[in-house]
Amino acid sequence: MLPLSLLTAAQNKPMLVELKNGETLNGHLVNCDNFMNITLREVYQTNADGDRFWKLKECYIRGSTIKYLRVPDALLDVVKEEQNRARDAGRSARGGHAPGRGNMRGGRGGRGGPMRGGRGRGRGA
Amino acid sequence: MDSLIPFTTSGSLVDCVDRKMLVILRDGRKLHGVLRSYDQFANLVLEDTVERIYHGNAFAENWHGLFLIRGENVVLLGEIDLDREDDVPLKQVDYNLLISYHKQDADTKKEREEVKSQILYEQKGFCKEGGEGDGY
Repeated sequence: MLPLSLLTAAQNKPMLVELKNGETLNGHLVNCDNFMNITLREVYQTNADGDRFWKLKECYIRGSTIKYLRVPDALLDVVKEEQNRARDAGRSARGGHAPGRGNMRGGRGGRGGPMRGGRGRGRGA
Repeated sequence: MDSLIPFTTSGSLVDCVDRKMLVILRDGRKLHGVLRSYDQFANLVLEDTVERIYHGNAFAENWHGLFLIRGENVVLLGEIDLDREDDVPLKQVDYNLLISYHKQDADTKKEREEVKSQILYEQKGFCKEGGEGDGY
């Protein structure tokens, strides 16, 4: 599961966004796009030194100004669950167990590197 | 590495997925966590992330959790050898104890860099850098 699909799955979840200039924004994700542009609601903004705060009803953040996002730990498991369910649903819709072609889908071929993290490998911290 | 895989972000990082990695950001932050996912921009998903700070022969950790890092800010990504990570001759101390020292170190470094770039600019004919907050 790609980083941006994790972000998409984080809609309505609380998150912390740190900008490149060190400012942080705490709020709930309203929406995001493929440029990582996001809108947050109920936002607490903190300046880079962490000594001044602002409260914003809603705000838009241009993706290019973001340094990183901190999302809830449970999100990864939720997304894995959802993907498994979607895959199983697709399988049963096509009828019976996965045919040979089905195995090639969803990046499970040899070169589907980025998908590896998305599949149940446990929390091997 | 398998020579069949081209040298691209995807090709280089496949082997790192689900491994414990060290990530250094442009602002100088050092993050340790398990790489769960990435894309062609080197946007990274790190699970169970801790931030480490150092001062002298001491280090401290601050737990952060699940991180999505925008690729632009990544300087370095390195695999941590689990068999040897405990062999480093450093002692762990409380984060709150070390943070003020760490801030001091960072400020000193920043000042030195500023002085250096000023001298390079005024006396050595270098151009001014953008001041993009590099601290690594």
